Amino acid sequence: MTQQLLELTGIGGDRLHVDWVSSAEAKRFTEIVTEATEAVRKRGPLDVSKYDLQLRAAEMVVKGEVMRWLVGKQHKITSAGDVYGRPWKEEKLQQVLDDALLREYQKSLIYLAIKSGTTSVRQVAEQTEIEVLRVSYLLADLEQKKLVEFTGMEESIPVFAAL
Amino acid sequence: MDEFEPKIVAFLCNWCAYAGADLAGVSRMQYPANVRSVRVMCSGRVDPAFIVQAFRDGVDGALVAG
Repeated sequence: MTQQLLELTGIGGDRLHVDWVSSAEAKRFTEIVTEATEAVRKRGPLDVSKYDLQLRAAEMVVKGEVMRWLVGKQHKITSAGDVYGRPWKEEKLQQVLDDALLREYQKSLIYLAIKSGTTSVRQVAEQTEIEVLRVSYLLADLEQKKLVEFTGMEESIPVFAAL
Repeated sequence: MDEFEPKIVAFLCNWCAYAGADLAGVSRMQYPANVRSVRVMCSGRVDPAFIVQAFRDGVDGALVAG
């Protein structure tokens, strides 16, 4: 999930490697380190200043409760079942997780964009590179959660502020 | 020195990968010096937030080994 999120931010999921080594496998350890180093070397240096907004949004997602709850319940939902006692198929839950991850990430981006002083839907869409329609759809969600507020019209353009 | 040397943060489990790294050192195996190790008591201790934070602080890559 973190790799997927890093892919969304644009820095690339292959910058993160996850692997298992036992204490007796020194050779395997050196292999994994070499492999990870080569993959990152191929990616080139990371210019963090370019991805500041994206990484802050990613941080909001991983610290936010939505993804934490979903991932925490993953095993229970696929084995014992949901609150109605229906076990879910892995793929179906994965789809839900993927959708939630994208939604949470885009919402965080929009929230941070508005907080940094961007006010109109069109400007937010431009800054975050999300479609205008999707931005207004997610804004309604953010409004309900009391994270942003509709402050009125300016020259027939709706204006929003972060709370 | 022309080649780019990435800076990689490695979260290593105390019982598995860290001991593996130790053994690699003791048996004088060669491996890239790009990793900066962080020893954790279990790889389950690693929070995705640590990784995002590491990238924000300027690493080029991250490795979690358990």
